[in-house]
Amino acid sequence: MIRRLLVANRGEIAVRVFRTAREMGIETVAVYAEDDASAVHSGRADRAVSLGAGPVSETYLSIPRILEAARASGADAVHPGYGFLSESPELARAVEERGLSWVGPPPSSIEEMADKLRARARMRAAGVPVVPGSDENARDDEALSSAAKEIGFPVLVKAAAGGGGKGMSRVEAASELPGALAEGRRIAAAAFGDDRVYLEKLLGRARHVEFQIFADRHGNTVHLFERECSVQRRHQKIVEETPSPALDAALRRAMGEAAVAAARSVEYVGAGTIEFLLDSERRFYFLEMNTRLQVEHPITEATLGLDLVRWQLEVAGGAALPVTWRSEGLAPRGHAIEMRLYAEDPVDFLPRSGSLEEWIEPAGPGVRVDSGFERGSVVGVEYDPLLAKLVVHAADRPAAIERALRALSEWVVLGVETNRPLLEAALCSAEFRSGDYATDLVARLPRRESGAPSDAAWIAAALSFAEKAAGTAVVAGPADPWGTANGWRS
Amino acid sequence: MSRLTAGDEARDVRLEKGSAELDGRTVRFREIRRGGALVALEIGGEVHPVRAVREGDRVFVACDGSTYEMRRGPAIAPGASRRGSAGEHGAGLLAPMPGRVRKTLVRRGERIAKGDVVLILEAMKMEHAIRAPRDGIVTKLDHHDGDLVEAGTVLAEIAADGT
Repeated sequence: MIRRLLVANRGEIAVRVFRTAREMGIETVAVYAEDDASAVHSGRADRAVSLGAGPVSETYLSIPRILEAARASGADAVHPGYGFLSESPELARAVEERGLSWVGPPPSSIEEMADKLRARARMRAAGVPVVPGSDENARDDEALSSAAKEIGFPVLVKAAAGGGGKGMSRVEAASELPGALAEGRRIAAAAFGDDRVYLEKLLGRARHVEFQIFADRHGNTVHLFERECSVQRRHQKIVEETPSPALDAALRRAMGEAAVAAARSVEYVGAGTIEFLLDSERRFYFLEMNTRLQVEHPITEATLGLDLVRWQLEVAGGAALPVTWRSEGLAPRGHAIEMRLYAEDPVDFLPRSGSLEEWIEPAGPGVRVDSGFERGSVVGVEYDPLLAKLVVHAADRPAAIERALRALSEWVVLGVETNRPLLEAALCSAEFRSGDYATDLVARLPRRESGAPSDAAWIAAALSFAEKAAGTAVVAGPADPWGTANGWRS
Repeated sequence: MSRLTAGDEARDVRLEKGSAELDGRTVRFREIRRGGALVALEIGGEVHPVRAVREGDRVFVACDGSTYEMRRGPAIAPGASRRGSAGEHGAGLLAPMPGRVRKTLVRRGERIAKGDVVLILEAMKMEHAIRAPRDGIVTKLDHHDGDLVEAGTVLAEIAADGT
């Protein structure tokens, strides 16, 4: 069993893992970069270890510093969260070599799936359909150009070592391809140290549906149903829901079986996600596997009534999956929706930074907030702009949408612009409500004007301007208690 | 009396005790405070929860589920919207957000065309191509790869061709 767990991450996911560890009686260790010492996560663990100063590559992304923090704190296990080093086979291997538990899949499984070209070849061999695209042998512009002609435009240029949409671009015509390949190679080399790119057919009006899978070290591999992730901007998800409105029982069974086959083919252990594209003719294709916990895992927890992080820790400690999971004894209940609150402009999606002057989280029936921020927190440029996740659970989909809008309206965030108006627009749209939507939903949303402020908003602003002036006078006046403290403060 | 703006909207607001004049219309209100801080306004029997935070001449207001950024002083001229990709200021190309200069792709004195990528700005894990808004010659380019820049910093200046 794990006794002391180091979480090699920050923000909401570190806080989320600490919570479960504490419930299991496991001691917790946070790590933090010096410029991030006041971040919420470092105060939520039993102890916190500094990773030193420097850019992210020398702190949260530094394997030697993470290992040193684990040694110094006496941790016997490392949970990587998502992002940062969560899909680093080097860290996984180094942790295991030191006799510590790695709360994640074996390094070999990570490597097999990290190389998107190799993963595609392996999936084809395992009988899992993949998106039509170029193969491993197409390396130079000439081979990729002829592959593009065969596939048919538009195509996507993707980085072989990539993920999360980085280095990805859409190409409409053959004339644009050489420029896009050069740009893709440059970004891929800078971001991943590997400039290989490949092509995938851009499927018209596709949906993005993923399956949660879980495996133990005793040969059991199961799926824990799907998550619909088609509400995206810049190829990144902002709203997820489960069950997917697009699946019926037969399609769910077929995709679930393919997901389990995909995980088995790389001898997977722990929590992972198989991402599929679902086209308008309801054909599905393997897109990629995320060999870690997903940002959107709480919606699965909501409908299945279980704690995925607990089972990550149990499996890392050697336990077998519960019998009810293996015998397909699980059945989702109700409907869950996650909304990601980002510090960004709701219209052009550019990241925003600043200080959270006011922060009041939604609450109430069926509402969960996983957050890495609080009032006074600073949102910087060096880290992911995800502020928090709002997860709602209700009896059915219409009730979940109403609950989501109710909870969003309770959220007070002042000082940093957020994408809340975009989240509201997506949930309010007729297309989302119908359930018949695809990854182009955000682009098709009617441009929504925020409207004129109400009388109350104008008056509050005027009071605020008036008040500050009065406040200044009080501080300078004789009634101010600090003013009488004999000048040591002046 | 002060002129308040929120995006394209503007009001002349005069505060009196227990009432406000909004563009000449009188609105009676009652302040509800907790620990000195305004938490709600009662207007015509309805209670509106509000939060307001002021920073200089800006105030952020959350009211009835919406958030506004309001300013004191004249309305921002139409067309000078801060939205969009890289902003322009005279001949200057402004950083649309705080970030780090990842790579500069042009040199000072170079003749470039509208749409050319001037530099790549990295912010919050994403790369943003900053493109030339017009044809011209790069006359100013002060930042080096790796420099941190604030939003609104002049990244480059591009003089129209032949001037």
